[in-house]
Amino acid sequence: MITPLILVLPLAAAMALAVLAGKRRAKYVALAGSIASLLLLPLIGYGTQSIGWFSIPQLAGQGKAASIQITTMVTSLNMLLLIIILTIAPLIMLYSFGYMEKLDEQRRFYLEMLAFEASMLAFAMSGNLILIFIAWEFLSLTSYLLIGFWDHKPSAIRAARKAITTVLIGDLAILAAIALLWNAYGTFSFAQIFSSATPSPSTYLAAALLLVAIFTKSAQFPFNEWLPDAMEGPTPVSAFLHSTTMVKAGVFAFIIMLPLFIAMHLTHVVMIISALTLLLATLNAMREPHLKKVIAYSTMGELSLMLLAFSGGAIAAGIYFFFAQSFYKALLFFGSGAAMKANGEESDLNKVSGMKGNRLVYITTLFGVLALAGFIPFDGFFANVGIGASFASNIIAYILISAVALMTSFYIFRWFLLISKEDRSSSSYLNYKIGPKSMAFAMVPLAAMTIAASYIYFYFPSFLSNNASYLSAYIGTTSIPLSITEGLIESAIIAGGAAISYAVYKKKIGISQRLAYYAARNGLLVNAAYSRFALFVYDLAEGVTLFDIYLDSAFDMLAGAASASGERLRRMATGNVNAYAMIFSIGAIAITVFAYLVGK
Amino acid sequence: MILAYVFISITAIMLFFNLALNVAKRRSLQLAANAALLSILSMLAAYMLYSGYIYTAAGTISFNPFSLFFILVFTLGILLVNVLAYGHSEDYGSFALLASFALIGMYLVSSSTSLITIFLGLELASIPTVFIVLISRKSLEAAAKLFIMASIAVAFFSFAMALVYGGTNALSLSTVPKTALMAFASVLFIASIGFDASIFPFNIFIPDVYNGAPAYVTSMLGGINKKMGFAALIQVIILLFITSKSPFIVLAILSVFTMFYGNLAALRQENLKRLLAYSSISQAGYMLIGIAISTQYGVGASLFQIFAHMFIFIGLLGIVGWLEGRNRHRVSDLIGLSGENRFAAIAMTIFMLSLVGLPFTTGFVGKFLLFLGAVRSGFAWLAIIGIINSIISVYYYARPIMAAYTGRAGEYKIRMHRSTLIVISACLAITLVLGIFPSPLISITSNAGAYLFNAH
Repeated sequence: MITPLILVLPLAAAMALAVLAGKRRAKYVALAGSIASLLLLPLIGYGTQSIGWFSIPQLAGQGKAASIQITTMVTSLNMLLLIIILTIAPLIMLYSFGYMEKLDEQRRFYLEMLAFEASMLAFAMSGNLILIFIAWEFLSLTSYLLIGFWDHKPSAIRAARKAITTVLIGDLAILAAIALLWNAYGTFSFAQIFSSATPSPSTYLAAALLLVAIFTKSAQFPFNEWLPDAMEGPTPVSAFLHSTTMVKAGVFAFIIMLPLFIAMHLTHVVMIISALTLLLATLNAMREPHLKKVIAYSTMGELSLMLLAFSGGAIAAGIYFFFAQSFYKALLFFGSGAAMKANGEESDLNKVSGMKGNRLVYITTLFGVLALAGFIPFDGFFANVGIGASFASNIIAYILISAVALMTSFYIFRWFLLISKEDRSSSSYLNYKIGPKSMAFAMVPLAAMTIAASYIYFYFPSFLSNNASYLSAYIGTTSIPLSITEGLIESAIIAGGAAISYAVYKKKIGISQRLAYYAARNGLLVNAAYSRFALFVYDLAEGVTLFDIYLDSAFDMLAGAASASGERLRRMATGNVNAYAMIFSIGAIAITVFAYLVGK
Repeated sequence: MILAYVFISITAIMLFFNLALNVAKRRSLQLAANAALLSILSMLAAYMLYSGYIYTAAGTISFNPFSLFFILVFTLGILLVNVLAYGHSEDYGSFALLASFALIGMYLVSSSTSLITIFLGLELASIPTVFIVLISRKSLEAAAKLFIMASIAVAFFSFAMALVYGGTNALSLSTVPKTALMAFASVLFIASIGFDASIFPFNIFIPDVYNGAPAYVTSMLGGINKKMGFAALIQVIILLFITSKSPFIVLAILSVFTMFYGNLAALRQENLKRLLAYSSISQAGYMLIGIAISTQYGVGASLFQIFAHMFIFIGLLGIVGWLEGRNRHRVSDLIGLSGENRFAAIAMTIFMLSLVGLPFTTGFVGKFLLFLGAVRSGFAWLAIIGIINSIISVYYYARPIMAAYTGRAGEYKIRMHRSTLIVISACLAITLVLGIFPSPLISITSNAGAYLFNAH
């Protein structure tokens, strides 16, 4: 009975916010709600529970159960996601104390955040298609509200619309998939469907639809464009939704439905698409000037890496990555938020400065950077080594992963060096000093977690294979390989990436004297060095971006076409009775002809 | 047997009270009498439904799970609209009188055993409706349009009846032979009832009429009269033509057109009432899915959707009517609503999300039942088109919702008339409670669907 309660607590806090009008206490209610549900974490037991919702007796028969149940399921995997959500949520709320300063915004913000947390918790413990659909729908809704939170900004509204357009395609797909799977297997329960998955045209279609849903939620090609745009939302939202929880819902759904995808032979498709997205995201991260979007692209790439690992058989390593990534990613977003706040909401990497003004922020952000790049002893190291070693026999995947590791290390140090550069003339240095304390405090536990998660690595396989339920056949058999050679290679690669980044952005040596000349001439030293260094990569990424733009405009055109036809249809109702009578009669004739043709 | 007579007597008493009190111009007394008698009638209908009451009187009308379901729906709907009208109408007395006439027509439609009774009921309901639209002097044009279109529909219905009589020598609601003549009759029935049930392309006039009439009248047109169209359509099509295939294929195609027409036309509507008119058209398209798949659970699912939509629509029109009283007609006029009256904003949000199909509202359950039913009977394509349409609908429901929560927050509060508040709260409660605990309603609607298929 404890399991549903952790979901109820944030919801109750949200209700309290909605009903009680206290503006000033909103943040404390939110923090209390999220901490209270965290405290219940040790009490959660493994297993499944079902509550009957309603039943449709007449639909039963032919091996189909017609009772609609809401089933919660806690396996080790669900537990992992619950741990991530529950530990990060209070820190997000604490961070928001400092970040969301305007009193008028606070109540709505915390209400939406708590509602989101509750939906995410529901998703994390869903044990059948009904609950997963409900949670999925509420995730779309709350994320729409949160991305468009600053509704005075047209760009935020546009971003929210783009996100919901993409994500709703997934909602549609999942609802259709539910109906098809139910028709094929006669049940909504994961354990029953996935233990007996047999290929047939309709189940194949259902699995493909589920993949579409997963790709939309986890921002995979060709549904990837919404994620960078979603950075228009407040930074705590980016840290919570778009790095640690919601975008990972797709990946999570993939792993819990893995038996179905394996039975339908869809894992190769996932491998190809995730590899493509991985490359695309990493290349974009290298040239992106918007400081939050760098992290967003990095998240997109990591989601691809997880999908690549799952579909390539490195399941345990992928799941560890899933876990480890949360902490440093949230940390990096916190760092971005602090930078933007201190620089007057400036988001251009080349224009922000002065992070050393707050030692605490500076050092914790550095922890996040080191962890993302993959330095020992941070959790990123183990995550990367695990995946790298798992793909040691697959040379193409291995080269891809290593190249990505190099580029990742490069772009994250670029990000960090630019964000923390000194600029005595600006006021940002002082702003960091007087910045809200709660923001910096929220970063400390996350920084600690980036190291603590490394030690969890050694207990990880045994944690996973206990209570893995119907997935034990997949999870239980794979271990996370840890080879010293792999570790050394990995460290060398990322050190190389960091060194290049350092040379280009900090020391500005090693390229040649010409670099300084160009830099002096252009005045934009960093930019010129960057474009000189990464000319080839830049062009490649530019080409990829062009393709992105085409996709984007295709989505816009779709929306435009719908609106345009709406315009035309509206004109039909012009108010002329004769016209109406005419249409009535023509309609009657048309259906008569149609019925005649059908009858023949 | 006794219950049926009690029911008919109370209906007659209601009519008498309305006549007498309208002449005496005792408005509040008339509301009290209507509220009390309609409540008794709905409780009676609910009890009869619950106890599985079946009674056929003299071969003309029949009380059975199917008819009682619709009787319950219409009684509750007229009750709510009465309360709304009391707060808004220029002439509540005449409205209540005409509405009680219309209600009797609806009772006839839902409990008929022959085409004649259905015809009579449809006429008895639609003529007072024209006059109800006329109560507000401003809506003369809307009333005229409604009247002309209704006459065309009547002509079609009569012709179809004549064809049935010519082919079978009877006007009873029993299966007709599969001939070309009967197929023609079925199409004429679809066209004429399609006027009432707002099926494309027989619904083109709807946005004009809905927009031209005052909001409480619109809530009756879209919330109740349209459902009467469905009551007639289900009986005629299922009982007469279940053995033939073509009417159901026609309905499936029309359902697709109706959904797309309503949803696409709603996309750029700026006028709130027009937006809701188009939205109700698209909802009619979903209800058609259940009839088109011609199985008992399909009809059951349609009935659920009918029940759900009536309350959502009346609730939404309550809010729109309240805003109309303050001369706010457009989507952009909703800006600041949340600050002015938070209850109205939240209620509108929930109603609209329910129309989209958000879980834990009746709208979701209805659509879910419809889609499962469609997939189950091999109409997966229809279910997928329905799902695509729900996604399109998000875009136009999102605009009013977003508008309501933006703009000047809480500068001043605007209170609602108490009668409006009661109606909206009741509709909201039903939408949420039956969305979370839908079992009782599902068992009622599936019994009603099953009766229709098994009784004959």
